[in-house]
Order: sequence, then C-alpha cells, then structure tokens
Amino acid sequence: MIRDMMGRIYRNFKGEILVLPGRTLALLVGLAIFIAPLLTRDIYILRIITLTSIFAVFAASWDLLSGFVGQLNLGHALFFGVAAYTSAMLNLYLKLPPLLTIPLGAIAAVAAGLAIGIPCLRLKGQYLSLATLAFPIILKGVVYIFKQYTGGELGVSGISRLAGSRLAECYIALLLGVSLCLLIWKITDSKLGLIFHAIREDEIAARASGINTTAYKLLAFCLSGLFAGIAGGFYAHYMRLAGPSMLDVMLSFQAIIWTIFGGIATVYGAVTGVVILFPLMEVMRAFPEIRMLFFAVTIVIVLRFMPEGVAPWFLDRVEKECPRCKERNAFTRRNCRVCRTLLIAGKEVSAGTEGQTGHPTD
Amino acid sequence: MLEVKELTVCYDTAMLLNEVSMEVHRGELVSLIGPNGAGKTTLMRTISGLVLWEKQMKRGTRAGNITITGEVYFQGRRIDQLPPHQIARMGLVLCPERRRPFSELTVEENLGAGAYLVRHRRRYQDTLELVYRTFPVLKKRSRQISATLSGGEQQMLAIGRALMTRPLLLCIDEPSTGLSPLIKQELFARIKEINESGITMLLVEQDVNLTLAMSTRSYILSHSKIVARGDRNELLADETIRRSYLGL
Amino acid sequence: MLANILVTTLVNAAAYAMLAVGFSLIFGVGRIINLAHTAYYMLAGFSIYTLVATAGCPAAPAVLLTIALITVIAVLCYKLLIDPMREHETTVLIITIALALVFQELMLKYFGGQFRSVPSLARGFFVILGVQVTRQHALTCMVLVLILGAVWLLLQKTRLGLAIRATAQDKEVANLMGMDVSRIAAITAAISAALAATAGALVAPLNILEPHMWLHPLTIILAIVVLGGLGSIKGSILGAVIIALSESLVIFLLPQGSFLKGAFSLLIMIIVLLIRPEGLFGVALEGER
Repeated sequence: MIRDMMGRIYRNFKGEILVLPGRTLALLVGLAIFIAPLLTRDIYILRIITLTSIFAVFAASWDLLSGFVGQLNLGHALFFGVAAYTSAMLNLYLKLPPLLTIPLGAIAAVAAGLAIGIPCLRLKGQYLSLATLAFPIILKGVVYIFKQYTGGELGVSGISRLAGSRLAECYIALLLGVSLCLLIWKITDSKLGLIFHAIREDEIAARASGINTTAYKLLAFCLSGLFAGIAGGFYAHYMRLAGPSMLDVMLSFQAIIWTIFGGIATVYGAVTGVVILFPLMEVMRAFPEIRMLFFAVTIVIVLRFMPEGVAPWFLDRVEKECPRCKERNAFTRRNCRVCRTLLIAGKEVSAGTEGQTGHPTD
Repeated sequence: MLEVKELTVCYDTAMLLNEVSMEVHRGELVSLIGPNGAGKTTLMRTISGLVLWEKQMKRGTRAGNITITGEVYFQGRRIDQLPPHQIARMGLVLCPERRRPFSELTVEENLGAGAYLVRHRRRYQDTLELVYRTFPVLKKRSRQISATLSGGEQQMLAIGRALMTRPLLLCIDEPSTGLSPLIKQELFARIKEINESGITMLLVEQDVNLTLAMSTRSYILSHSKIVARGDRNELLADETIRRSYLGL
Repeated sequence: MLANILVTTLVNAAAYAMLAVGFSLIFGVGRIINLAHTAYYMLAGFSIYTLVATAGCPAAPAVLLTIALITVIAVLCYKLLIDPMREHETTVLIITIALALVFQELMLKYFGGQFRSVPSLARGFFVILGVQVTRQHALTCMVLVLILGAVWLLLQKTRLGLAIRATAQDKEVANLMGMDVSRIAAITAAISAALAATAGALVAPLNILEPHMWLHPLTIILAIVVLGGLGSIKGSILGAVIIALSESLVIFLLPQGSFLKGAFSLLIMIIVLLIRPEGLFGVALEGER
C-alpha cells in the first residue's frame, strides 16, 4: 500500500510538476528556502525567511478575497492588526500560550471580517474598497484612545516567544506558510473557488443561478480574515510586539502591492510577490536613503511592462496554454501533453497574425 | 457611400463575422436582419470603429485578443483603421444598442453632447429645432434627467442625439427592443421620415415585417455570414429564406 | 477663538473640496482611483517652498509657476504610466500608490523629513465683522472658492465640460458622438492635477510642510468622495464641508485628540454609507452593466 502511495506521489510529481517549468521552478525555490536555514543559521537570514512566510500568507489571504471574489479590500491590515493585538493582549494579560492565542487571534479576525462584512456588503465596487480602507484607521484611533491597555503608540510588548530558538521559529513559520498558502490555493481551485470566481465575473448572473452571493462574499471575508489573522497573531508573537503600525494604511497597501506585483487572482502570484519583494527590501535596508524610492520605482517600472504581474508574465513566456483543452504546456512542446493538439497554431492566433483565424484543426 | 469588403472579426478564437460584404448607397434605407447572435451588432460596432477601439483599449489582455481583417470604405475613404470619433466626424454615426442615453444628464444636455462636433451656434440651434420637430416629446422633457424617461422616449433621445451630429449615414442598432407595438410603429414612421429628409440609413432590426416594408434593400445575416440580400419582394420570393430566416 | 475655528474650517473645506473635485473628475472620466492625487498637493507645497523661501520669488508668479509645473508632471505620469494600464484596474491602483511613494521619497531625499513652514505670501489682517482674520487666510479662502466656482461653470456651461460629463457617463457613446475620449481624459487629468496643485500652493503656507503630508489628506479625500457619491462634483463639495467641519469639531472639543480626526471623519463616512450605500449624490449602479 505504501508502495502504491509512493507510486502515486511519484506519478503526480512527474506528471504535474516536472512537466511545467513554472512549477519546477517553484519547487526548486521552495526547496532552497527550506534548506537555507540549515546551512547558515544567520539570525538575519532566518528572520527574512520567517517574515517572508508570514507575509506570504497575509498577501495570499488578500488575494483570496480581493483577487478571487473581486471584493477589493483596501484595509486588509485590519485582520492582521486585530489578530496581532488580540493574541498579544491575551498572552500578556491572561498568560495564554501562543498555541492558544494565535487561533484565538485568528478567530477575532474572523469576527472582524463578519463585523465589517455584514454592513459593507451592501456596498458595491469601489464604495466597498474605500469603506474597507476606513476600518483599520478607525481602529487605530480606538487603540490610541485606550492607551492604558493597548500601549498607544508603543504597542503591546513583552509577550512570549513562539519557540525556543530562532531556527525552530523559522521552520514553524515555513511549514505554516507553505501549508496555508497551499490550502488557500486549493480553496481557489475547488468548487468554492469557482463560485467566488463567478461572483467576481458577474454577480447578478451568479445570483440568478441560485448562488447566495451575499453569504459567499461573507464567507470570503471570514476565510480571508482567518488566514490574515493567523499571519497577524504569528507575527505578533515573532516580533513579541503588537503595535499600531500593524493597522497602518501602508500595511494594507503592502499586501496589495505584493499581490499585484506577483499577479492578482492566482495565489501563487501573491506568494511570488512576497518572495521577491520582501527579501529584496530587507537587503535594501543597507541603503536606507534610497530604499523606499527603489521599491516604488521598481514597482512602477515592472508593472508598466508586466501589467498582469510578474508570475503570469513569466508563465506566459515558459508555458503555453493548449487552445483546445486549456491544459498548460512547457514552451518547448509542439503538441499538447494531454490532447496532442498542435500548439504552434494557437501561438499564431495570440500573436494576432492577420488572415489567420486559427481554429485548431487536428 | 458605405462599402464593406470581406470583413472578418474574431474575438479570441470565436469568429463573429465571416467575410461579410455589403454596401449602402446614398439616400437608401438599408436594413440588416438576422437571428440573435448572428453578428449584427458586431458588424455595426466594427463599422463605427468601436471594435478597433475596444481592441486598442484592452491591448495586452485576453479580452483584447481581437482580429479584424477586410476593408471598410466610407465615401471612398478607408475607415477601418480610424478611431470612432474620426469616423463620426466624417458623418458615419452609430446610435448604439440599448439606447444608452447619458443617464445623469438632462435631455437637452444629451442633445448638446451629440452636437459636440457642431461648433456654430446657429447650426446647433437649427439642428435642435429639427430634432424637436421630429420628436416633439423631447422638447417637453428637455429639462428632465434622461434616466427618468420611458423606454420609447429614451430611444427617441438616442436617435435625436445621433441626429445632432449631423450625420450623412445614420446607423441605428435595434431601436425597437422593448417597445410596445404602438410606439414601435410611431418610431418607425419617424425613422422613415428622417430617411426621406435625406439621411442615408443602416438599420438593424428584429421585427422583420415592419423593417422589410420600409427599407430599400435588406441583408440577412446568420451565423456570422450574409446569407441573402435584396429588396422585400426578392427576399419574400425565396421559400427557404422566408421559412428559415424571416419566419413568415 | 470661535472665529478662528470657523476660518480654519472654511479654508480646510475649500482645500478639501478642491482636492476632492479633482479626484472625482478623473475618477469619473477615467475610472481611475488616483492615490497619487494628494501627492501632487504635497509636491506643490514643496515647489512653493523652494520658489518663495529659497529662490525669493514673489507670491503670485510662484503660485502660477507651481501649478504649471505640477500639471505638467501629472500629465506626463498620466500619459506614460497610468493611461496605458487603464484596463488593469488594480494595477493602476498600485502604480498610483507607487508614484506617491516615489514623490514622497524624492522630497525626503532633497528636503529631509523635518517640518518646514513656508513664509506667508500675504501679510497683515483683515477685520471682518469685528473679527481679526489674517490676510493670508482670507485670500486663500477667496481664491479657492473662486476657482471652485470657475470649475463648476466650466463643467456646467461649456462644450468641454459637457464632453467631460458625457465621457464620464459612457465612454463608448461619447466616442460615437465624435468626442476624442482619450484626449478628453488627458485634459481631465490635467485639470484634476491643476486643482490639486492650486490647493497645495495656496494651503501649504498655512500648514506645516513635510513629505508624508499626502497620506492624511488622501484618506480624508477618499472619505469625502465616497460620502458625497463617487464621481459627483456636488457630492464632493458637500462632503468636503461636512468632513472639514467634523475635523474642526474634533480638534476643538478634544484638544489632545487631533490624531483622532482621521478616524472620526472615516466613521462619518461609514455611517453615511450604511444609510445610503451610494453616497449622498451617487447614483446606484444598475448591477454594473
């Protein structure tokens, strides 16, 4: 039986990962990141890997709500901040261990998702986006008002550490990051993901097909809040601090920047964005003078030429979609790996060659 | 006046027009008939330049993967590479499907927007007079926000707005959708009147009987292709056409 | 004291209204949420500072030069970076944020993060109804209101204004009526930036100048335009008055609560939205079709 299972994993590995350059590359990068902590033990690198994993979950959770369901959330930091503060305060005042405070923080973030989702889902399109922008800023005001509990500008500090060593923390973060991102990806790939997609494309049509769009949008708010909340609680325990910067407009914008830079509505794009941009920005700390300028200019230039984001741009170069069965293929193939359709004709259509209508004939 | 030569339009891999050729001569009222999804609206949008515009706007996205081949001539000049506003400037104006008034603007502002190209105050006044004479109800409603008009009034507004551009060739896409039979007849009488006042017309319609009766010539478009052409008697004479496309 | 609050409110309201109207215009015509909008306001402030405090330029030409300069920068950004991306709505959002950051960082690099103030452009006082008002405040307020009026007239009474409003409603039909939509959008972008620059040039001397000064007005402007109804000029002006008033009240009633003024304005926005989901003067989207 074990042999059977191994066989299946091997076949999946060969048939679903190795045939596609994009997935192979992702696997290689993933492996490299997993091995890196064992090789260096450098606190600085461990820190970058840990935070990258946390923020990958944060960005992916934004993508789930805003990319897939199309509910552009400009205040995603709300979930992160609520969870961070909840975890921190539960830990500090009630002395609960991180194993409890992080889930509780995530639950608080889900509650926050419900609390803003229920009133805000009456709003459509840009109204919703701009209303969501407001909540973290309002909450920040509240944090300042209850200074004696929240620490005001200084935040809640002195909370317990996640694990004994930085290395352990790093691996916990990595495992959590990888599994949560895969989970989000699986959600978007499931029937639920299909419904989300339908709501984004045409909410009225979705409703007309018997989908309770409001309930599903609320579900999306909660799911997104859950994942962002886990990231937030984790972050608080890692930094041993929950501060008002976790409710900042810039943090919300960060999630959006990472995701769109990588490629919106793909999940892997959100992760790619974080994996590229976050370490880059940490390295740039060596040049504080031009750090943010470099960041902003990079984004403007990259998006100017890859408006769909880096990951889709890259995949378009190394893979092509079969015009008939929509399976993806490595760019080196002449025939589709599933249905054997000639791929060259499909390419000519997308290049817009005039006079070719390009219906693939066997 | 208008000549379409082997026009083919593909959206991604779907072919919406397949080597369509047609022509409209000065003074004619030519109608384009066909079932839903035959490509009538696409043809109108291609002629008026909207498809090209859409292609340029959505360049780089999947929705922008549009190919247009073939040629369109208006008054001897090739127009299939021109943007819509220049085509309008030449006198070929499309009154689009579903009326689409500028809904937050008043009736008079809508007409004013139509007269964007008419810079002379006098000419503007004359045209406005003319439109009000053709559709007196618009004058009564001139200060009303156009979203509050009835369907028939909105259609009249849309045609009036297109007339304000002082077109040489007026294309109207499905003016009778959703109108009561009475209003439809009234509207068609007006359209006929406008044609008789000297404006050439290309009309897309669903109502075969009324349309055939008033147009000089007709084209039948089905499955992206022109399947028949001719005047009323010619089309009605052919048994297969009558049964398959005209439902008579 | 009360009179001072009233004058400050008035100036703030007028400045916010200028910013919000510009934001609304380009949103309406281009469907662009331009998060770099208040960055133009910030840039204008620094431009005035450089011209007046460093180069010793007299007030009026400094203001005009600033407006021209910022407008040119904004139109270039629009044509090169925003317009080609318009179909990718979220990408535009990010590009505008990044642009604002670029401007912020450039200013930080050249001027540093310290607070600066621009020497006042007009000295002296007016006495209105027995209340002493600085000439600077009074002039600023007057000019702002005049410009707002002019914009209103432009939109309501001219051919260009009608074209802008028509394009905002339906680009395709505007195109069919012979309007060069992309040119109209570029003109709108220019007007929008010029308004932001004017607000910046006139209001900067009343406030403290620093490179992060775009973020707070940005959230306020967003609150205003949502509160007033996206794309509605009337709504933007009314929204600006409401928000400016509420800000002044918060500062007046809670003297140490100035950090709460943003939160409070946004709270008002949320409350309005819950009652009227399309804002005060917005039109309910007909199912986005």
